[in-house]
Amino acid sequence: MLKLRLTELPRGRHPVAFPALPDELLPAAYAPLAAVARFDAARGEALRLDGVLGGRTAWLIGAGPPHPLRLEVAGALAVASMTTAPEDRDSTPVRHAVIDARGLAPGAVAQLAMGAGMRGHRLPNLSTGPRRDLRRLDLLVDDAAAAAPAFARVEAVLRGVGLARDLAAEPANRLTPTTFAERLTGLRKHGIEVTVLGRDWLERGGYGGLLAVGRGSAHPPRLVVLRWRGEGAPVAFVGKGITFDTGGISIKPAKGMEAMKGDMAGAAACAGAILALALRRSPVHAVAVLAVAENATGAESYRPGDVLRTASGRTVEVVDTDAEGRLVLADALHHARGLRPRAIIDLATLTGSIVSALGHHRAGLFGNDDILRDALMAAGEAVGEPLWPMPIGAKHRRDLDSAIADLRHCLPVGGGGPGWAGKFLPDACQAAAFLGEFAGGDAPWAHLDIAGMDLREEGVESGAYPLPPGPSGFGVRLLDRLVADRFETSRAA
Amino acid sequence: MLDIAFAKASLPESGALVLPLAEEDLGGALMGEWDRLLGGNLARGAAAAEFKGRKGQATTLYAPGGGLSRLVLVGLGKRDSLDPAGAEAAGGNAVAALGREALASIDARAIGGWAGAAADVALGAVLRAWRFDRYRTTEKPEDKPRLAGVKVLCDDPHAAKAEWASRRAIAEGVFLTRELVSEPANILNPPEFADRLRKLEKLGVEVEVFGQKDLEKLGFGSMLCVSQGSAQPPRMVVMRWNGTDSKKKDSQPIAFIGKGVTFDTGGISIKPAAGMEDMKWDMAGAGTVAGLMMALAGRKAKVDVVGLVGLVENMPSGTAVRPGDVVTSYSGQTIEVINTDAEGRLVLADVLSYCKKRFDPAFMVNLATLTGAIIVALGNEHAGLFSNDEGLAARIQEAGKSVGELAWRMPLGEAYDRAIKSDIADMKNVGGGRAGGSITAAQFLQRFVDGCPWAHLDIAGVAWGGKDQPTVPKGATAWGVRLLDRLVAEHHEGRAAEAPVPAGEPEAAVSGTGSESPAILAEGGAASDASIAEPVAPPAPARAARPATRRPRR
Repeated sequence: MLKLRLTELPRGRHPVAFPALPDELLPAAYAPLAAVARFDAARGEALRLDGVLGGRTAWLIGAGPPHPLRLEVAGALAVASMTTAPEDRDSTPVRHAVIDARGLAPGAVAQLAMGAGMRGHRLPNLSTGPRRDLRRLDLLVDDAAAAAPAFARVEAVLRGVGLARDLAAEPANRLTPTTFAERLTGLRKHGIEVTVLGRDWLERGGYGGLLAVGRGSAHPPRLVVLRWRGEGAPVAFVGKGITFDTGGISIKPAKGMEAMKGDMAGAAACAGAILALALRRSPVHAVAVLAVAENATGAESYRPGDVLRTASGRTVEVVDTDAEGRLVLADALHHARGLRPRAIIDLATLTGSIVSALGHHRAGLFGNDDILRDALMAAGEAVGEPLWPMPIGAKHRRDLDSAIADLRHCLPVGGGGPGWAGKFLPDACQAAAFLGEFAGGDAPWAHLDIAGMDLREEGVESGAYPLPPGPSGFGVRLLDRLVADRFETSRAA
Repeated sequence: MLDIAFAKASLPESGALVLPLAEEDLGGALMGEWDRLLGGNLARGAAAAEFKGRKGQATTLYAPGGGLSRLVLVGLGKRDSLDPAGAEAAGGNAVAALGREALASIDARAIGGWAGAAADVALGAVLRAWRFDRYRTTEKPEDKPRLAGVKVLCDDPHAAKAEWASRRAIAEGVFLTRELVSEPANILNPPEFADRLRKLEKLGVEVEVFGQKDLEKLGFGSMLCVSQGSAQPPRMVVMRWNGTDSKKKDSQPIAFIGKGVTFDTGGISIKPAAGMEDMKWDMAGAGTVAGLMMALAGRKAKVDVVGLVGLVENMPSGTAVRPGDVVTSYSGQTIEVINTDAEGRLVLADVLSYCKKRFDPAFMVNLATLTGAIIVALGNEHAGLFSNDEGLAARIQEAGKSVGELAWRMPLGEAYDRAIKSDIADMKNVGGGRAGGSITAAQFLQRFVDGCPWAHLDIAGVAWGGKDQPTVPKGATAWGVRLLDRLVAEHHEGRAAEAPVPAGEPEAAVSGTGSESPAILAEGGAASDASIAEPVAPPAPARAARPATRRPRR
């Protein structure tokens, strides 16, 4: 975890970054050199200045043109500029750096901190050599006490995002369903209630979807319920937590399969959001229902053609064992309904189809409630985790009609009918239609298909600013913001 | 097209009778009237068949009495939720249930609450009855559909007939589109397509055809690179309908642009063989624009419209464009062709810029079977809608809802636009990988609209249907003709309801219908009104068609 702190006193000789706003004058120490280098803060670029502060390395960070997230982007750029590229093995790594945020309002300082924290987060690194990443970042401010409340909130959210990113980055041999659940029990120290429901409990409850998906693995599945006890009926987050997805009997191609350790990013984001709410003492009651399993190929694996009885009692024909996420979510959504929530939001790295649809710039948003949809859209825009509404059409549901069960969970490859168009399946919409059957209609429900957004990849542009390759923690900030804007303000409603 | 007549209700002497009923109509007065005439067979039959009036339900009673060969009960669902789309569906479902009947009457009196309800039923019937059987030469006569005419029974046949005129024009437009889309690519190549569009001149549409040399002179490097591998020369057709009183010079038209790839092999980036036969309908965007122009001209819409189609064939050959080639578009922007199967946008690029430059339209809407990715995104219930104009997008969605052609808004944005940056040219014709493929295609098009309010409809998932729908038989759907006609009617020509009635039409009786039937059901039966048939002749053009002698401007 990167240590972020506010300070009023510049100490040491660590590199310092100065975020420059286009319409403001630069401090006298920087201005002459900046002019010589034709530095233009509106371009959103970083300029390195040596020797302006008595030999200390200083960076001018152009905040770029007006944009709601520009200080966050500047914070991220500051950290990216000051820390040495990891492949540059000869240089001395920067482990401690400073951002000069003097003269900025507390809200602006918080934004800078958010961007710096997002960019500077240290993902798990299991290499045995010395670490070279940034360990400590000081934010130099005029009045630490004034900046503290907004900063504390940012810290809470960053720790939630950090948890989600760390969990998603863990290799699947270290993060099995069992150890995932164990790590989540560690959240108790923050006042979060953690219930881990194991195989026996799931069998007694008839959680046939989750059990079937987890059956091929040596590590049995878990349903983990996190609860931050606030006022009133809970807001429920539901997360897909497949610790590794081989595809099962419908096994995936080898290429790129290593990324499937992150197929629990939805569950990790839900856990991160609960942690953020707990750390910032949100008055809202929130629960996270996490369906945790490993989809392995084995003698006990569930098969295409199997018919499962889910916890809701509905029977499901399995068509493709690689569409396992919707099966575990079916049971988790049913469980969440039983908690009588005021809203259900599920997050899942569910389909490749959503990546074809929206690419790496927006996650897919499905659901049954316009107000919740609009609130999620607004929250996503506000925190730079944008969504896009997608349809659940009557036809998408009809496509799931099964000859042997209440419904099938997906269509077979090429099952979209004859001809050219039949090769293309709207799998994201069909998956959402499937989930809708289990989310029911008693509480507003939304489904976020975050495949394409959960991971930052080398050479693939995504998000408002670059993060190091690895999990992005997408969804934590969004859920935190949703709770803050929609549920903390409308408690009376 | 089916012959359509409107008449006061009377018991037909023979043939079929269709009785659409809402759930609330069971056991009601209307059902009672028919039941009495049929000696109680209707009530008994409906009860035995468990007809409940549910939406889409159709129950057939054979030889129900009174000389009828069959009586079809069609469910309308709940009365409150009955709307024009429901009326059309009833007409369509009725036709589907008529089997081998040659003549039928549909009693539309259960459908109402708005002007034109009976005409809506008729529209549904003709739309469903359409069939493309030009190339069936060995089909036995007894296997061919026999339904020739439908008489719609209603309380005010005169009013219904007036309402029918505009709907009939729309149906004609839909049929033109369906026919063009259904035609195989060895018949419908770009020159043949252009020739068929010349026929719109009879309706008063000005038609200009641009050939290879014209397009070369204009500098259509983007569109021409697609056709250069084919033996078929390209065409661009500009259709103009000036339905307002304004002088052409003063009018700012609205514009519709269609992708017309008469066959898309993919070119050098050739497609897999499976399903490639469907690529004959890769001109559905152009086909839709053609049908729309016909509908607007046919109903003499009070609007100035231009319709432009870019017609090419995309073939692999020694002269075909290669991946890596750089071409210069009409707009001057250069394009690196990465994938020759992303050809639709290359065609549209030039046609869009040309349209903007020449006509400076109030807005441009283009239609294209552009990407498979839009099917992966949305399926085939919604077309993808991309737009740089909130109002236009909302109006398109609204019009689509009212005619049952749904469009779903998809995003645009700078981040997506960056995916088509090229290392060697102003842009490349595909983004990296398959991520967001429909969006990057839309971003490409947006680079050629030059700030004009614009919407792009990606219709790859909706242009062709695998299954019969109530008003759309399997095959070419003509998706978009009705939506855009409605868009024009609602927003660009005052009130939609003011559809003109073509003057001076001869009135002819539908042959074989019993207008003299003794059993007049309506109060004060006006037998003289009872058999108003549809004229077969096309409506007279608004003004003398001008031969398209104008040379294309540079």
